[in-house]
Amino acid sequence: MTALLLGALGLTLSLIVPGPLARAHWPDRAPAAAVLLWQAITLAAVLSALGVVLAAPEELTRAFGSGKPVAAEGSGKPVAAAALIGALAVAAVIVLRLLVSLWGVSRRSRARRERHRLLVDLLDRAEQRQELDAGNVRVLQGNLPLAYCVPGREARVVLSDGALRLLDREQVDAVLAHEQTHLRHRHEVVMESFTAFYRAVPAALRSRAPLDAVHLLLEMVADDAAGKRTGPAPLRGALERLTDAVPLAEEVVPEQDSRRRRMARLASPQSPSRALTGAVVAAAVALLVLPTVILVVPWLDQALAVWPL
Amino acid sequence: MALGDLEREIMTVLWERYLPMTVREVHQELARERHRDLAYTTVMTVLDRLAKKSVVRQIKDGRAYKYAPVQSRAEMTAAVMMDALSGTPDQDAALAHFVGALPPEALRAALEAIQQER
Repeated sequence: MTALLLGALGLTLSLIVPGPLARAHWPDRAPAAAVLLWQAITLAAVLSALGVVLAAPEELTRAFGSGKPVAAEGSGKPVAAAALIGALAVAAVIVLRLLVSLWGVSRRSRARRERHRLLVDLLDRAEQRQELDAGNVRVLQGNLPLAYCVPGREARVVLSDGALRLLDREQVDAVLAHEQTHLRHRHEVVMESFTAFYRAVPAALRSRAPLDAVHLLLEMVADDAAGKRTGPAPLRGALERLTDAVPLAEEVVPEQDSRRRRMARLASPQSPSRALTGAVVAAAVALLVLPTVILVVPWLDQALAVWPL
Repeated sequence: MALGDLEREIMTVLWERYLPMTVREVHQELARERHRDLAYTTVMTVLDRLAKKSVVRQIKDGRAYKYAPVQSRAEMTAAVMMDALSGTPDQDAALAHFVGALPPEALRAALEAIQQER
């Protein structure tokens, strides 16, 4: 029973919840808490999968063993022991697969960023950023308006001189504040963990929704921090100019939607909803604690009595 | 002068000439055009470092070595921008966060169009 319930929970969290949650607009009012909720959902799904793997063999041997009480005492033990070892092995494989994926993703991105940082440092047009006081800004020569950051121990914020020509001073400051927030809050670590999880999950069970939703939420967190520094108007202006300057293909609808959501927040900034933030954090905690208390602890109680330890 | 600035200045000299240069030529150019009075060995060390990072090519010319950038400044800039724009989150961790919610595919297309105009 425990295995069934945990399995249902895990499937609900990984297949049913992500779609509607990614489309919902209420997380826009508490983006940081919503990121926490996505992390709790992902972690709870992993824990459910582990729970199924550990509980199912034990429950099956117990169910079949109880049918023949005489034999259970003698012949049940080796079967139960084999089931336990098998379950532990599968659980270990799941955990290992996740860790290997995380290690691979962070190693590859680190190498790539390292190389990228070396090149932007060499290509930097230092004379064009004299009045920008941040030491980690680099300017690339090119008409294409670009603004991005390269995270890492020696992080960089990169602007093209096309972007510098397009934006006024206030807007440049807003863009820099936005990028520096990504760097200061280590948003790349959050994205890397979701990427690693996505890559480790079998194709039938995974969804892109968490990746895209968390990415958008992190942009909103950075928007809010930049808005606090410069007011929302310059950032909104910068977003508008940067987007309008590039002739966009019409087919990219989801990106357009996320841009609209960010613009709407910047157009009518609401004070962050404390009640909503509290409720979302509480939901995230409950998602991790409740299944453990309601399902796992009673099962563990029974299982420990039977396990051949 | 910090090592990073030194590397950048020397790259600028090499990019402006674009033809292979000896250490002595780079050294003279730095002194004459950029008023950098550096030790000859410093210039040599930095050129060596740049070659190790494979942004500069070392060419044997008789008994001396000459140095040339592996790509022109414009080519390398375009490559860096492409690198920043590629890499969707599901393939691997995105390299960078963009300020605009500019779809990377669209930006890539725009960049390629600009490249072809040249």
